[in-house]
Amino acid sequence: MALIIILSLALGLAIGFFLPINLPPAYTSYLSVAILAALDSVFGGIRASLENKFNNAIFISGFFGNAILAAVLAYIGDVLGVPIYLAAIFAFGSRLFTNFAYIRRYILNNFSKKQ
Amino acid sequence: MKKSFFVSIAFVCVVLGIMISTQFRNVKNSDSLTVQRAEELTSKLNQVQKERDELKKQINDLESKISNYENSAAKSSTVTKSLKDDLDKYKELAGLSDVEGPGIIVTINDGNTQLQPGSDQSAFLVHDEDLLNIVNELRAAGAEAISINDQRLVATSEIRMIGNTIDINSVRFTPPYVVKAIGNPDTLEAALRLKGGIIDTLSNWGIQVSIKRSDKILVKKYDGVLSYKYAKPYEGGNN
Repeated sequence: MALIIILSLALGLAIGFFLPINLPPAYTSYLSVAILAALDSVFGGIRASLENKFNNAIFISGFFGNAILAAVLAYIGDVLGVPIYLAAIFAFGSRLFTNFAYIRRYILNNFSKKQ
Repeated sequence: MKKSFFVSIAFVCVVLGIMISTQFRNVKNSDSLTVQRAEELTSKLNQVQKERDELKKQINDLESKISNYENSAAKSSTVTKSLKDDLDKYKELAGLSDVEGPGIIVTINDGNTQLQPGSDQSAFLVHDEDLLNIVNELRAAGAEAISINDQRLVATSEIRMIGNTIDINSVRFTPPYVVKAIGNPDTLEAALRLKGGIIDTLSNWGIQVSIKRSDKILVKKYDGVLSYKYAKPYEGGNN
């Protein structure tokens, strides 16, 4: 599983570098929030699969939904002058660490059981 | 279920990779953009400076050619010789030729007083007015040729503050300012050292002024172009 993740991530990075996608500099803050949301979804998906609770529809919808919602919220926050993106960073960031903690625990448990 | 998980996680990771690399490139671009701009401006500045130096060289060449022509013309007849003498005299009076003679060299620099926090720093700097006062006093004392940092003061010269620099003949200078004046050294120095005069006032503010007498001071010529666009010679008539 780790191999698939790393390989596909590398593939995506390569595609992104060679494709001439140029975002106007004004939108970089929205994309960064969307990246955080997407990262959170990936960690959530890995955790769910380890707990055998993985649901494909929830995973895909969560990935795109969270990313788009985070970017839109950041945009609305910019328009209204309220830094809503901070809420997104806080929520996704804390969840990311929680998910990572679960994954770590699960892997370490498995490792010690094998020994 | 396992298979669909692998497919979707691979797909999601590819999308995530694209997003990350796009963002990465964007952030890097916005950084290098300012650097590029600075580099462009630096190279432009260098180029323009080189051009300026070339043009200066050209001016020198042409001027030496002119003086050659003048000299050869002066040799041909007495009329042209007297014309040449007149020309040299007026050039000297207008500040268009190097002149030499006894006089004084005044060096003026910003004060190095330790400032109290909150006090006004600008009072301790050399201002355009200080230079103007000095030049005024020197002229009143009979100075015949004056230059500041080798910029000859002619009829059209300005002494004007621009930010922290002073503009003389459209060239910017920072302290120290070296004023060279040709005239009677005793009179010139006495005029500046008058009790309650300029040097008294300036040294009150901590501005450093030093005066050096010399029997041989070279005051360079004005190296700009003197030409009038609006003023025409008066033709006479009813007045």
